[in-house]
Parts: sequence; structure tokens; C-alpha cells
Amino acid sequence: MQKAYSNKKIIFTLVFPGLLMFTFAVLAPICLSVYYGFTDFSGLGKFNFIGFKNYQEMMKDKNFWMSLRNSVLLAAGFIVIQHPLAIITAALLDRMGRKAEGFFRCVYFLPNVISVAVIAYLWKFIYNPNFGLLNNIAKLFGFSGKTNWLGTGTAIWSVLIVLIWHGFGWGMLIYYTGIKNIDPVLYEAAAIDGADNKQTFLRITLPLMKPVIEVNVTLAVISALKQMETVYLLTAGGPGNETQFMANYLYKQAFSSFRYGYGNAISVIFVLICILATRLLSKVFPKEA
Amino acid sequence: MKLRKAMAAGIAVATAFSMMPMSAMAEEEPVTIKVFSNNPDRTADQGLVEQTIFDAYMVEHPNVTIDVEALDDEAYKTKFKAYAAGSEMPDLVSVWGQPGFIDEVIDAGILAELNQDDYADYGFISGSTDGFSADGKLYGLPRNTDVIVMYYNAKMFEDNGWEIPATYDDFLTLADTINEAGIIPVAMDGGDKWPLYIYLTDMIQKSEGEGVLQKTLDAISSGDYSDPVFADAANKLREAAERNVFEIGFETTDYGTAQNLFTNGQAAMYYMGSWDMSMATNQDIPDEIRENIRIFNMPVINSDKAASTALTAWNGGGYSVTANAANKEAAIDLLNYMFLPENWTRIAWENGVCMSAQDFSQFATGTETEVQKQLMDMVSASTNVSGSPLGDLGTSEYKTVCEDTVQQLAIGSISTEDFYAGLSALVK
Repeated sequence: MQKAYSNKKIIFTLVFPGLLMFTFAVLAPICLSVYYGFTDFSGLGKFNFIGFKNYQEMMKDKNFWMSLRNSVLLAAGFIVIQHPLAIITAALLDRMGRKAEGFFRCVYFLPNVISVAVIAYLWKFIYNPNFGLLNNIAKLFGFSGKTNWLGTGTAIWSVLIVLIWHGFGWGMLIYYTGIKNIDPVLYEAAAIDGADNKQTFLRITLPLMKPVIEVNVTLAVISALKQMETVYLLTAGGPGNETQFMANYLYKQAFSSFRYGYGNAISVIFVLICILATRLLSKVFPKEA
Repeated sequence: MKLRKAMAAGIAVATAFSMMPMSAMAEEEPVTIKVFSNNPDRTADQGLVEQTIFDAYMVEHPNVTIDVEALDDEAYKTKFKAYAAGSEMPDLVSVWGQPGFIDEVIDAGILAELNQDDYADYGFISGSTDGFSADGKLYGLPRNTDVIVMYYNAKMFEDNGWEIPATYDDFLTLADTINEAGIIPVAMDGGDKWPLYIYLTDMIQKSEGEGVLQKTLDAISSGDYSDPVFADAANKLREAAERNVFEIGFETTDYGTAQNLFTNGQAAMYYMGSWDMSMATNQDIPDEIRENIRIFNMPVINSDKAASTALTAWNGGGYSVTANAANKEAAIDLLNYMFLPENWTRIAWENGVCMSAQDFSQFATGTETEVQKQLMDMVSASTNVSGSPLGDLGTSEYKTVCEDTVQQLAIGSISTEDFYAGLSALVK
């Protein structure tokens, strides 16, 4: 085996397919995006090289900034609301008995099993101001029940609730798996030393979960930046562009306005932001921790 | 399915004699015509009409196989561009005869020129092929005449003593009365945004009466929307929304939900195009509502200029053959077959699906739904039509900006001035 791994031909044979795949499926499209980002290509016919005009326009495009702000807001929502709740839920699940543990694990993960389209339409009906569940419940408590949840002002918060709720199961499941991998001997030792639940969670669970938290938070931030399907189906970025997210805005520019050049320029910035976010998170979670 | 087969066999027999030379093709080598359509439902509405004709064509031409790929409008437009960027376009494609779609496609040389003389006897309504033409050349055929109407529940009107409004002010007063009764006056699909700019165009048409198309095209090309009629129309849209003429949350209500509000009896009226006349034959809609669906034309705003017979109407969707089609001749033959009046026009009309862009009065049987009869009367009495609505007369970018901002205008998050300033900024 040692001989095989030191044979350069064998190494090349093993690495080459992956490298080829990466080159054509990832690197080449990114390079093409960079190229088209400097053009006014509409997707049809000829196009012109326009230098940095797309990027200059992006700097002044308030809808681009609005979509970036919403993406960052979602990432913050994931970090501040979704993940603390997911860790606590995972820790509580770990302490439950077998039957209850299995039951609640399924319940929390259920939204992730349902298709995004179904989720979006389900919430669209829940939020509907004329016959939606939420307003009907509000009426039972004496409110007017006329709130337009997906209307101007409230739309972004309504969308964030759906996205945080929808992604909760994944985060919780990863944390749950992480907790399950912690050596139970540590908990037994803590119990002998008289540690209560809070101390056990803060002194044992949380520190040992750092690598899992790092991976999970990085995935959450990237998924917040990439968020598209649910928003597209729930509000299509509306009203106006109030619930516009970066990926959705990119799609809209490229495939609705047919501004492929501008869409590609957004995608280049998008890739840069994703790389920057990953680098930033690796600084927040240093390896020696 | 049985209905479709029977219809297909019927039209195959009916056209067999007139198409005798074509039947010789049966002896020829197998041909597969690839069709790319924006009618994904092949068992209802225009998809049914399309498929019925294709089935009939294949019965008559055993050597021909029609391979249909169908997607919803937005997905269709996206894939259309993807096809156009590649080298293998389908042979026969759905198109929209509006500048926002067709101008770029014609400029890119994607569509085949059709022989205008072929259609001399097809009975196309005067001007209906204009949107599919450029520089005097014809690149496609329109499949329907779209008229914007107000659907209303006649029984609900009668029970409550409500009258069809004669003027726009009467319409607003009626909306107030309906609101007081706890019913939604008009179900509006504001989530899709385009019905809002159609409403705006309707306001212009009902104020001006004529010359709306040219006035709008001039404003789009120059970026000058200073003619007061534009600001008035925008203000009227905003006023209607503010006065709760539309349902709460109209800006997030999609097509299906808006229609359901009307067909469930929650809304007294529904603002939509003539393509929804099939509601009157839709068995899924409760009898007491389906049988009482009627229409009226949006009342005039300025009776000095606009007549009550001025319609907001245009010829939107249609079909073209692609310039590099693998089976171009066969595709043109299929297109010509589709638009023989006894095919598209007759089948669409008899099934209450839509009004074609051809003379459909010859197929009137007297057994049409009330909505069809009203539409027929409305179209035959029309003195002027608006042409395509505002958002469909510019580029794709213009359309998306117009959609976003008209929605913001309607909910009051931008002013009329900002709305037109945004559109003016698109002039490059």
C-alpha cells in the first residue's frame, strides 16, 4: 500500500478525476462569471465589454444593498436565535428518555423533510390576511385579525421566522449528534463532583461542542447568503424588493431582467462575500480552541 | 382524455380534405417536431386546445411525431434563453408579441420569417399580427385576444341591490358599499405585480380613449412621463388600494388565491383578463357562483375623451418557428395547420377557453356561456383598444423594474413621482 501511494502515476490517476470535475464544474464557471461580469450580455446575441460598469452600478443599486442587508440579517438570525435554541434543544433531547427522545427528534426534524415548495405555500396560507390561520387565531384573542403579515414593514420578519423555523431541524440534529459523541464518563464525573445541569452544559457540553458549532455556524451563514427557494416561493422578494435576498436578486437580474452581465457581476461579489464570511468565521473559531 | 381524442379525430376528418396535398407526407420519412410551449397543463385551457390540435395533426400525418416540452411562463422564458444561448432550439416555440420579449429575440435572429400571404384567408383581426412583425416581416402568429375585464358575481350584486357602475367614481362608491357589507370589493392578484400595471394602463385608456399605445411607447423611449395622464393613472391606482377596493394584502396575493377569493364568494369582483373566461365552465367552482359570473368593462374616467366601448386589450401570446429549426418546413406546416380557423379558433371558442386573434364570430353557436356572449358583444362593439400594457412595452429590465415599482406605488411605499423617475432612469 505504501508503495502504491508513493507511485506518482497512481496518485495522478486518483486525483485527476476530482481535479477535472472541480476545474469544469466549479473553477471554469467562476472564471466565466468573472468574464461575463465585465460585459453587458443579455443572454442573447452579441455583447460588449464594459469594464467595471456593472460593479459601479452595483455600488449605487439600493436593491442590491437591501438584498445583502437581508442576507446578513438572516445570518444573524441563524446565529443569534436559531443556533442557541438548537443547541439547548439538542442538549434537552439528549437528557430525555428513549421514546420521547426519538419522538421529539422526529418532530423537530419534520420541516426539513417537507419540500421547500410545500413549506412556502403552507406559510403563505398561514400568513394570508383574509383567511390565514394566524389572523384567525388573533381574532380568537380579540384582535382585529387584519394584519398583513407579508406586507410592507412586517414581511422581512415573517420571512425570517419561516427560514429560522425551517432550518432549525438540521442545526439541531448536527448538535444532537455532536452531544452524543461526548464521552458520557465526563458527565458521570461531573455528577459525582456535584455539578448541576447548567454547569454541566456550560462547562462540558458547550466547550466540547466548539468544532461542531464552528461547522454548523459556517454552514448556516453560507446557507443564509445562498437563501433563495423559500423566499422566491413565499414573497418573490416583495413587496417591492423588501424581502429580496442576494441569491434571489442575482437570479432576478439574470433570468427575469435578462441582465446576464450584471447578474454575473453580482455572483462574483457573492462568491467573494462567501469566502470572506468563511475566513471571518475561522478567525472567530481559532483552531487551537 | 376521451373528449380530447374525440375532438382530435373530429378536426382530423374535417381538415383531411382541405389538406390533401399534405397527407402525401404520410408516405415520407419519420419527422419529429419539437415544440416548446408555455402551457404545461395539457388537459385544460389553452394546453388542451394545443394538444388536441397536435393529436389531430399526428393522426393526419402518421410520419410526424410532435414532442412537446411545456413549462410555466417564468420557467419557460428562462429556459427559452438557455435554448437560445445553445445551438439546438426546438422547432416551434411559444412567444409573446410584446417588445419586452420579442424584440431581443428577433434582433438575435432566432425566429424564422413566415410568409404573410399564407395567412390571407386565416381571418386574423386587423393589427393582431403587428406585435409579431418587425421591418415589415412576420415572425409569429398570435393565438388570442386578451381583454381586461371586471368579473363580477351577478347574484351577489342582485341580492344586495348593487348596480354595474357607469363611471369610475361610481365604481369607487360601489367598492365602499361592498366593503361596508363585509365583502372584498375586488380580488386583485397584486403578488404577480403585472395586473397592477395593467390596471394603470386601464386607467390611462379610460381617461384618454385613444392613442394610448403610441403615447406610452413615446414615454418609454424618451423617459418623459410628464403628460398628466400618467400621473393621474398612477394616483388612481394608489387611491384604489388606499380605499380598500382590493383585498387586504393584495400585494402578496397570487393568481390562484385572487381567483379563489372570487370563486369562493369572498370577493364580489375579480380584475383579470378574458383568458379566465373558462371560470364559467369550470366544474370545480360551486354552481351558484359559476352560473352567475358576468363581466363589465372598467367604467370611463373622462367621458369627454374616452368612450365606454374603449377596451384595454392586446394580442399577447402566440407561436413562432425558429430560424435554425431542424425541421423548419414541417414546423411551419404544423403552425399553419394550428391556425386554420376551424382548428385553434373554433376549438378554443367552443370550449370556452379564450378568444383567438382570428374572427371567432363564425363559430358562435348560441350555446356559449354568458361571459362568452358578453365578451363577444364587448369586442364587436369596441371603438378602440389600448394595445399592450405599460410593463410589456419596454425591455425585460423595464418590465421587472415596472413590476417592482408599480407594486410599491400601489402600497404607498413610493410616490407617483418616484415611480416615473425610476422608469425614466431606465432610458440609456
